[in-house]
Amino acid sequence: MSMWRRNKYALFVLPAFLLTITLFFGGLADGLLKSFGYFPAIGQDTLRLSFYQQALAERAFQDSLFLNLRVALLSTIFASILGITLALVLYAFQLRSKRPWLLRLLQLPLTIPHLAAGYFMVLVFSQSGLMARLAYAVGWIDAPAEFPVIVNDAFGWGMVVTYAWKEAPFVALLLYPVLARIGSGWYDTARIYGARPWNYISTILLPAIRPALLTASLIVFVYTLTAFEVPYLLGVTYPATLPVYAYQLYTSGNFEDRSQALAIFWLLTVVTLLFGWIAYRFYRKSYDRGWE
Amino acid sequence: MKKVVLNGTLAVLVIAGCSEQTAQQEIDLNQEWSTFEEQAKGTEVNLYMWGGSDSINQYFDNWVIPRVEETYDITLNRVPVTDTKEILTQVLDEKTAGKNEGSIDIMWINGENFKTAKDNELLGKPFSDKLPNVQNFVDLEVPQIASDFGIPVENLQAPWGTAQFVMTYDEARSDYPKSLADLEDWVQQYPGKFTYPALPDFTGSAFVRHVIYQEVGSEVFFEEALMEREEVEELLEPAWTYLNAIEPYLWREGETYPESLARLDQLFANGEVDFTMAYDPIKAAAEVQNGRFPETTRNFIWDEGTLSNTHYLAIPYNSPNPQGALVVINELLSAEAQAAKMDPANWGDLPVVELAKLSEEEQQLFSAIDLGEATVPIREMEQNRLPEIPSIYVEWIEESWLEHVAQE
Repeated sequence: MSMWRRNKYALFVLPAFLLTITLFFGGLADGLLKSFGYFPAIGQDTLRLSFYQQALAERAFQDSLFLNLRVALLSTIFASILGITLALVLYAFQLRSKRPWLLRLLQLPLTIPHLAAGYFMVLVFSQSGLMARLAYAVGWIDAPAEFPVIVNDAFGWGMVVTYAWKEAPFVALLLYPVLARIGSGWYDTARIYGARPWNYISTILLPAIRPALLTASLIVFVYTLTAFEVPYLLGVTYPATLPVYAYQLYTSGNFEDRSQALAIFWLLTVVTLLFGWIAYRFYRKSYDRGWE
Repeated sequence: MKKVVLNGTLAVLVIAGCSEQTAQQEIDLNQEWSTFEEQAKGTEVNLYMWGGSDSINQYFDNWVIPRVEETYDITLNRVPVTDTKEILTQVLDEKTAGKNEGSIDIMWINGENFKTAKDNELLGKPFSDKLPNVQNFVDLEVPQIASDFGIPVENLQAPWGTAQFVMTYDEARSDYPKSLADLEDWVQQYPGKFTYPALPDFTGSAFVRHVIYQEVGSEVFFEEALMEREEVEELLEPAWTYLNAIEPYLWREGETYPESLARLDQLFANGEVDFTMAYDPIKAAAEVQNGRFPETTRNFIWDEGTLSNTHYLAIPYNSPNPQGALVVINELLSAEAQAAKMDPANWGDLPVVELAKLSEEEQQLFSAIDLGEATVPIREMEQNRLPEIPSIYVEWIEESWLEHVAQE
């Protein structure tokens, strides 16, 4: 009986477990093999590195990588700054023992899928979007083309702006628990020693959140580096970010290109794993160290 | 659904029980047509087709199935599949297993799937020229029917319906260029008002093929011996020159292209650009009806004509009821069935029968259908059709566009 009880939970998760193993890891393994040129369906069964070499040598890859790094880096910086600000505002609310309605508000953007966020940007900020219509109604512009290009711009600002507002609450919600553990007592003590609010923030709060901030921004960075939907909607035709470029290659119909696309996907996967591992290490370290 | 599955199973059982029934390769297609109708009476015909469109399914369930039941006493089972490749996989499996009495009588295919079926010898004898309605109403020699994305049809499948590329504009807003040569002047006069979906979008790709036909010509693509990739790349250059020449005058100065046709439709609906396009001549009318496009939306086609492709009905080599299949396909090519198919209330698919070959009353059936004001008259479209090139070239063109137009 107790055997059953102990094992039944394992049994319950078995279907989900099997599904994940076969679909997720199966897909990853299949992609890995094909990226090394093992593709029996088209008569290829020798493992080789040539697809990785080919992928890296393409000008399109290099242009994509450059754009990708720029967008990911800027998105991370803006999302982090916004996120820190939000977390500090939340902390200020807590000091005045306000009810956490702001916290609830911040959780809202987290529920919006990135695809919807991207499409929202198109609807609002494209040259015939809501903002352009308002500008037209007020008489600031006479034609759609006069409205500034915010989405589908070559630099990638459309993506950066989207990621900044979409990820900032995520950063804030990762930082806030750390701040919440710093009671209001610390602030009173600091004030006794003559600290102004800014001193308190820079010498107490910011160092306290640094490990969590590092974790959060690493996650944001690797996400913006590898996500597909926002660049697909808000990017330009060329250069595309790496995930979009790989998707174009994969769907081009040529089997050789598929192996190359999968090589790019695997490079992205390795980068994700690496950053994920570093983020995890930082998180553990800050967690283990505690509050001595 | 359940019934369909059950019928399918029964059919297989029955077939397994009496294997002396004639398989398709054994019937004599030169018999008197009435013999087939006689033999098909009281039988079942299994039609396997893509089932992803409600309106197409309803055309069958509400119009075709009752009609063949009444007229020919044939029970037609519509077996829906989510991807036409599944049908071919099934026939291929049957062939591998040596099953000469299969389960499929008719399949709805074209392009790539026809090529697969032909290459793997999954089709029976050439039959389409034996159908009375084809003999009376269809011209099998016209290029866009005689070849299916560059593959010679050789009467192995019967043409059934047509799709054609159209351009769309708003007559209240602008005039339109009559040809691609005009377009070059037009975009310079009205910069920023034209663009096309980035390849490999299906419709964007079709637009680019028109440019290729205009700048390169189409004959070379239809030569029997396929060209090497390098040869094609070299041929395409004038087309890239044209597209790069108009690029600075396109929407957003050609810095980017809409990523999909849906996005181009949105730009058109918002008035950001003056044109959209479709490989579906009735879509614009539908968009006007549901209020997305303005009332003054109109389609037009290039003076040189626009691309058109045909979809077909084929009989697998191991069809258990080839006589029934012939009768049903023939009925689907009757003026009544083709007219009902064209009615947007049913499906809205262009006919493959030539209106000029029909009787006065039969033509009436077509002219009575309201295709919406946006739609180009059928006759005009019919007379301005260009055939599609082999699909292998389409892939190369799409890749080459990214390199020579998007990247430049």
